[in-house]
Amino acid sequence: MELFDATGADRETATYDEPQARKGFFTDTTLCIGCKACEVACKEWNQLPSDGMTFTAQSYDNTGELNGTTWRHVAFVEELRNGKGGGDEQVLRAQAGRWLMESDVCKHCTHAACLDVCPTGSLIRTEFGTVVVQEDVCNGCGYCVPACPFGVIDKRQTDGHAGKCTLCYDRLTDGETPACAKACPTESIQFGDLDELRARADARLEKVRANAHFRDASLYLRGDDDGIGGGGAFFLLLDKPEVYGLPPDPVVTTRDLGAMWRVAGKAALALVGVTALAALGARK
Amino acid sequence: MTAQANGAASASYYGRPVVKPHVWTPMIPWYFWIGGMAGAASVQCVAARVRGEHDLAVVYKRAALAGAMTAPVLLIADLGVPARFMNMLRVFKPTSPMSVGSWILSAFGAAVTASTLAELLGWERTSRALEVVTASFGPGLTVYTAVLIADTATPVWHEAYDTLPFLFAASGVGGAGAIGSAFAPADQTAFARRLMIAGAFGVPIVGHLMEKRLGRFMAEPYRTGKAGSFRRVAEFLSLAGGAIGLLGGKNRTALRGAAVCVAASGVFERFAVSAAGTQSAKDPKYVVQPQRERVDEREPASVDT
Repeated sequence: MELFDATGADRETATYDEPQARKGFFTDTTLCIGCKACEVACKEWNQLPSDGMTFTAQSYDNTGELNGTTWRHVAFVEELRNGKGGGDEQVLRAQAGRWLMESDVCKHCTHAACLDVCPTGSLIRTEFGTVVVQEDVCNGCGYCVPACPFGVIDKRQTDGHAGKCTLCYDRLTDGETPACAKACPTESIQFGDLDELRARADARLEKVRANAHFRDASLYLRGDDDGIGGGGAFFLLLDKPEVYGLPPDPVVTTRDLGAMWRVAGKAALALVGVTALAALGARK
Repeated sequence: MTAQANGAASASYYGRPVVKPHVWTPMIPWYFWIGGMAGAASVQCVAARVRGEHDLAVVYKRAALAGAMTAPVLLIADLGVPARFMNMLRVFKPTSPMSVGSWILSAFGAAVTASTLAELLGWERTSRALEVVTASFGPGLTVYTAVLIADTATPVWHEAYDTLPFLFAASGVGGAGAIGSAFAPADQTAFARRLMIAGAFGVPIVGHLMEKRLGRFMAEPYRTGKAGSFRRVAEFLSLAGGAIGLLGGKNRTALRGAAVCVAASGVFERFAVSAAGTQSAKDPKYVVQPQRERVDEREPASVDT
């Protein structure tokens, strides 16, 4: 068994007395109107402080990124006809250009790097298959921050510990829908059992791709066979992932941990070997 | 308009980072150096005992103790919630190099402290045995930090996982050798001097090997900006210290000068690696481009746009 399997969603949820069906988000970006109700609902429910008033002066996106106190982020991509956009040229030529909006969130990876590297056990896999920071255990070492392949989790300036989306764990335990999905006026954010969401997404993709303008549409992190074993939160995208600021082929870093320790073992042996060789030499 | 990171190379979201750069303070690169030095010093301590150079062995032992005492201070100062530092030992987690490292550092610290106490009590055999115990954790202490940073999504750290441990090992050996060379009695410097020189030349050699294996594109963050400046200083100090140690090492003052150069080069090298990681995380092209190439290789159909 590879090391990272120990913390994978399938294995960990099985350890609960009352395992639940794995829950997740299907974010259908074709329905997003960029209203940011999800951002506001998330901030309100989770009592997350403001990040201040800043203007990116780049687009209607003034939130910028996910961080320790922003757990939903609506990306706003303008693809213009003059060829400066990152989109599909043929589609753009047929259109005046287009706006792409996507509500980004923690992916709740099947193989979650943040959870793997967390040295305190603060990051856990819940009975819903989601990944949650136990804020009273986290000591703010910051290791999860560079470990996340999506740049989601961050150390909070306010109280020093790590923070990210919990898929509204408190609401789930009461059988409620997460705040963002509840607030979404267009059902761009859909919450439910992951199996059901995946089936729904497959049907939706087929429908979307039937439209010639959207033949590049794809499901992102929908499968089990990508580098993170699939996301608990996955997306229907109309352009390449990197256009939305998402990595096109994310891999959980701990997949290579065995190989890394083997290299480290060789380096440790080399250290001992060099020292021994030097010790064999003369006294002067 | 989506910003193009590097000509037509790869698309990005307004040039924003895809992954987050590490949030560690300068305490951490300092710890990487001090921990690396202490680990290597513990091994050199036992080797010096075997050679019968007991004064030199004591120098190494003090270096290991000093490192083991300083390390937790640096690490705790870096925590977001320092009062919870004991949570580091709440679990033992093989999937987390930081957890494994916390246990290595704790065991190392306990062993070298116990050995020093035994020495003060005059229990020589116990003290020597505990030096061996300390040394058994030493190499791990020196190299685990390389695994720690490689086990992230930071492009130039993860991609360099096959060379970073050797870089840290070489720098650790050089650092400990430098301490030994500087503080050993005049008639016991030969062993330490050899290791100092080995480390001094080892670091730039491994560094170049690392760049070569990373390739021109992925090595850029190590060569440019703050990281590049740090590395050039580190390399200069390394080569200067190595050369002085090699040519003028019989002269005590020259040897001490060389030791300062080599020790300082190790510090600059760790800061360079830290800065390179930040640079590679901040520019989305280092994340996107290799991943895009992987995807296009798997699905050539999607290249048509």
